[in-house]
Amino acid sequence: MYLGTNLLAAWGLNLEFGVAGVANLAFIVTIAAGAYAYTIFTIGSPTSNGNFQQYVGGFTFPFPIALAAGIVAGAVVGVLIAITGLKRLRQDYQAMAMLVVSLMAATVVSADTPFLNGNAGLVIFPSFAPFSDQDPEVQRWAFVGIVFVACAGAYFLLRRFTAGPFGRTLRAMRDDDLAAQAIGKDVVRLRLAVQAVGGAFGGLSGALLVAFISGWSPSAWAYIETLALLTAVIVGGMGNDRGVTVGMFLIGILILQGVQFLNDVPALKALESYVNRTGLTHDLGWIVLGTLTIVFIWLRPQGIFPERRPRYGGQTS
Amino acid sequence: MELLIEAIGFGLAAGAVIALGAVGFSLQFGISNILNITYGSLMTLAAYIGLFLIDRGVNPWATLAIAGVIVGLVSVAFQRWLLAPLARRGTRPFAIVIVTVSAGVILQYVILAVAGPETQSYGDQGGQTFHLLGVTLAASQVAIVVLAVVLMLALHLLLTQTTLGQAMRATSSNRILAQSCGIDTDRMSDVTWLLSGWLCGATGVALAITTAGFDFSIGQVFLIPMIAAAVLGGVGQPYGAMVGGLAVGLASELAAAYSNPAYREVVAFAILIAVLLIRPRGLFGAAWATRRLMA
Repeated sequence: MYLGTNLLAAWGLNLEFGVAGVANLAFIVTIAAGAYAYTIFTIGSPTSNGNFQQYVGGFTFPFPIALAAGIVAGAVVGVLIAITGLKRLRQDYQAMAMLVVSLMAATVVSADTPFLNGNAGLVIFPSFAPFSDQDPEVQRWAFVGIVFVACAGAYFLLRRFTAGPFGRTLRAMRDDDLAAQAIGKDVVRLRLAVQAVGGAFGGLSGALLVAFISGWSPSAWAYIETLALLTAVIVGGMGNDRGVTVGMFLIGILILQGVQFLNDVPALKALESYVNRTGLTHDLGWIVLGTLTIVFIWLRPQGIFPERRPRYGGQTS
Repeated sequence: MELLIEAIGFGLAAGAVIALGAVGFSLQFGISNILNITYGSLMTLAAYIGLFLIDRGVNPWATLAIAGVIVGLVSVAFQRWLLAPLARRGTRPFAIVIVTVSAGVILQYVILAVAGPETQSYGDQGGQTFHLLGVTLAASQVAIVVLAVVLMLALHLLLTQTTLGQAMRATSSNRILAQSCGIDTDRMSDVTWLLSGWLCGATGVALAITTAGFDFSIGQVFLIPMIAAAVLGGVGQPYGAMVGGLAVGLASELAAAYSNPAYREVVAFAILIAVLLIRPRGLFGAAWATRRLMA
């Protein structure tokens, strides 16, 4: 299930970074936007929930509409972020600016309690109606099914984007945006479009994730989360959808979840209590992630599956 | 009015620390053209090294120097054996930034794993309080300001009066030309990273001295105002970074005094974004320097 939502997120980021060359380190904010929007749309008014959280909005809409709200919110936030990144800065400066944007968003939301309940986040909202009367185990699997469907649909859309003319234009923009402009591609509109679509992916990911875990707070979207996604993209193969899928699988399952299984390894458990530190395995996960990124950039920057340069029918004469 | 003066006082103290860090950051960018995000985690490292030493009875100001040396050595090693080779291979600047971010994450989590998530403190380092012109500052804060001024002066003298400093400046402004003048630019890089690494470490300890409590994220938290200051002053320009540090410090404290204190950080972020969007070369960056910044 986590793999599914992470996949969606990774595809979105890949679209923005791998294909279009937009260094969007604030991607996590689009995920958060989707999550928050979904929450606002399903949580019901503040008073009905015991009045211990404050937030804006608060409706009770059925699941599909709330999902759609998440997608839209992600897209909108994506565009907003795009606007801040429009100035033609060197890519790493842009990256830094995006990093700052994501930190700023986290700080603003944390600090401004009436908006989205600040640092405490929002919790407790109904699991979606069709399955709430079933046994929880069934619910979980039903949810996996829904995420699977969402992923399949999203992948289909994604391939349409990246393999078709839109994808080619994006790659052109990434490789040499002056040249792309010279042949008449509107770079600004493209960037906005890409970040809207990427953001929509992120929003969907966030909305689904939050529907499952029923709680969301600023600590869930620290800026390093984007780094985790970025690692998956780099390891798997930038610009290559299949590669990114593999990368996400490796990173998501093996590391993020696998680290939790490490908890059961007696040797590590012993180490943990020796050092008197809980959550050691969690930290290890991040350390491994960071190391992987550096190793890959050092050894194989194209990732496991490099981007496949499309071959055009031989028409050059 | 009192509030204003008090805010200015805090702003100066905060600004001094930020300036210290910003100058180091700026020097690193100036000489290697790399935005070293690991700087934040290195400051955290310094703070914890300081904690280790202080708990064993070493004088806080001595730990500042010692931590500086350690971080300086780590920085040189980092640059020499990881960053420079990557740059030589033609790795894109963005990829190098990702490497520094990752290295920062690794370092931060290693520190977390070793030292734990609890908030740490150097204990009450305040010393007696001074009341000057309506501003109340602790002795440690005043000491930091004095230290910052002294270090800036020392740096200025180094950069302008010594051959080494001139060579550093030459390498910073045009590496190839410096090489053709016979300057060993690799050695200049090493020296600059050693110095700026020392500043990084010193700033880390200074931060820990002036904040009531800190944890593994302190470096990351203060890195952003320092980057904002460096960019505001013109990244690559150490003098600009000094002014920038002061400006960011003052602005943050004034904002905190007159509105929500949580917005203190947001001010730094906002300044950074504003500078990047409006005038990327900052206040003092020369026009030609923007070549490095633009795509």
